[in-house]
Amino acid sequence: MINFENVIKRYSDGHEALNDVSFSIPRGEMAFLTGHSGAGKSTLLKLIMLMERSTSGQITVGEQDLSRIPKRQIPYFRRHIGVVFQNHRLLLDRTVFDNVALPLEIAGLNPRDIGRRVRAALDKVGLLSKEKLTPIQLSGGEQQRVGIARAVVNKPPLLLADEPTGNLDPELSEEIMKLFAEFNQVGVTVLIASHDLALIHHMHYRVIELSKGNLLESNGFASAGKSTADQPERSHING
Amino acid sequence: MVETPRSSGARSANPPNAVNNYFNHHTKVAKATLRAQLKTPFSTFFTCAVIGIALVLPTLLSVLLSNIQSVNQGWDGSAQITLILKQGVPSLDGGVLADTIAKKQSIKSSKFIDNETALNSFKTHFEFADAIEYLDENPLPHVILVRPDKSLNKIEHIEQLKESLVKYPEVDSAMLDVAWVQRLQSITDLLERAVWLIAGMLSLAVVLVLGNTIRLAIENKKEEIIVIKLVGGTNAFVQRPFLYMGIFLGFGASLFAWFLIHWVLYMLNTPIEALAQSYQSTFSLSGLGFESTLFLLILGMGLGWFSSWLAVRKHLGDIEPT
Repeated sequence: MINFENVIKRYSDGHEALNDVSFSIPRGEMAFLTGHSGAGKSTLLKLIMLMERSTSGQITVGEQDLSRIPKRQIPYFRRHIGVVFQNHRLLLDRTVFDNVALPLEIAGLNPRDIGRRVRAALDKVGLLSKEKLTPIQLSGGEQQRVGIARAVVNKPPLLLADEPTGNLDPELSEEIMKLFAEFNQVGVTVLIASHDLALIHHMHYRVIELSKGNLLESNGFASAGKSTADQPERSHING
Repeated sequence: MVETPRSSGARSANPPNAVNNYFNHHTKVAKATLRAQLKTPFSTFFTCAVIGIALVLPTLLSVLLSNIQSVNQGWDGSAQITLILKQGVPSLDGGVLADTIAKKQSIKSSKFIDNETALNSFKTHFEFADAIEYLDENPLPHVILVRPDKSLNKIEHIEQLKESLVKYPEVDSAMLDVAWVQRLQSITDLLERAVWLIAGMLSLAVVLVLGNTIRLAIENKKEEIIVIKLVGGTNAFVQRPFLYMGIFLGFGASLFAWFLIHWVLYMLNTPIEALAQSYQSTFSLSGLGFESTLFLLILGMGLGWFSSWLAVRKHLGDIEPT
């Protein structure tokens, strides 16, 4: 589903966020992306989302070479990826229902289908009764679950999350992670950036570790940052 | 990229449905935008008022212009040709000629004035009556005053008529009193040009004011725009509410301008009627007709759409998720 080959990302100020990173996440897998802050986790997710373009190397997502996607096609590409943010990024002046409905409205569904799908997604995250409230009226954990509902309402084959439990206490964090695992069980590929190591090790999923822009470890199998082209193969098998 | 059964809803739906959904979406965005505007009635009103006032001046000028043009057209006999008859032509012949001319096409009236009448008129109207007493004989010629029909509203046509009248053997020369017609025409030409210039400049002002309003609205919605772009919203989707906002503000401004113009005309009408009465006329100002009202509305909405389109084009590209 996701394939990085010798990806380098250098910002215009010379800062090298990713240094020759190669890995692969097969369809249907769930993996964690860890590393201290500034290790390049966010950059990696941004590259997948096409919020940034790589300086060199090849990234493919769902068989699509990202360097071949022109700017005006980016919105259509993003519709196939669900994203959950640390600060949930909900629109505070809209109801829970409208927040979750946003991706479907963008995709141009009719109101009847939108209502059906939004309620299904809210039901999945256990917030069906709160559709008429605004995000401010919800607790932190509930807000994050609304964010997840919005990410999955479109039934994307790939789900990304950037520190989804960053603002939550351990109990709520585990709940949220379990929710991700449930989506993974129905076939969604999931990649979660997180530095909540205790929780990650508790969950027994593959771990991709970044350090200063280098790929340090993929599921405990050491892989040097300066990896070779065969590295994705290895991580593929390991995953 | 992904071959999941759901894929994107709009494209997998059958065409009439997709079109339907598209219009549904537009209606929804339009309604939501209108509701948001009405939620802040004061700022919406003031924006509309500012733009409306900018629309008033050119519209008002064009209304006054069309009123002047209607004065021009409605003038009783837009020009007058004075035929001066040769010395020695008997007044009886002059009267017959006047009748002959009156029967011609495109002549409204033709009036013979013999030299005695003219002299008497001189004596009563002017101070030098005494001086005229000293004259041995009447120095004035007979004249025929010819007024062309209204259908002859072009100066060239009146000139042609004059040339044809000079050909009568009794006629010595002819004078065409067109100076005031030409003067009025050049005044209206000048005004027309001024209207266009002022309209152009004020339209620019409208675009700037509205553009700035929309720019602020974009700034306020920055977070929302970023989120929409992150979940796959196209630029067209993002800019739609702003375009509707521009159209609605333009509409409100046109409405405001319409009322203001009628108020101004109402205020001007009393003195203008008094003025017209002093010329024995019943002229009064006419307001915006149906067509002008429609034009004003379309102009306002068009300018609104155009300014927000410009603002959106300039500022939306800068807002990208980072």
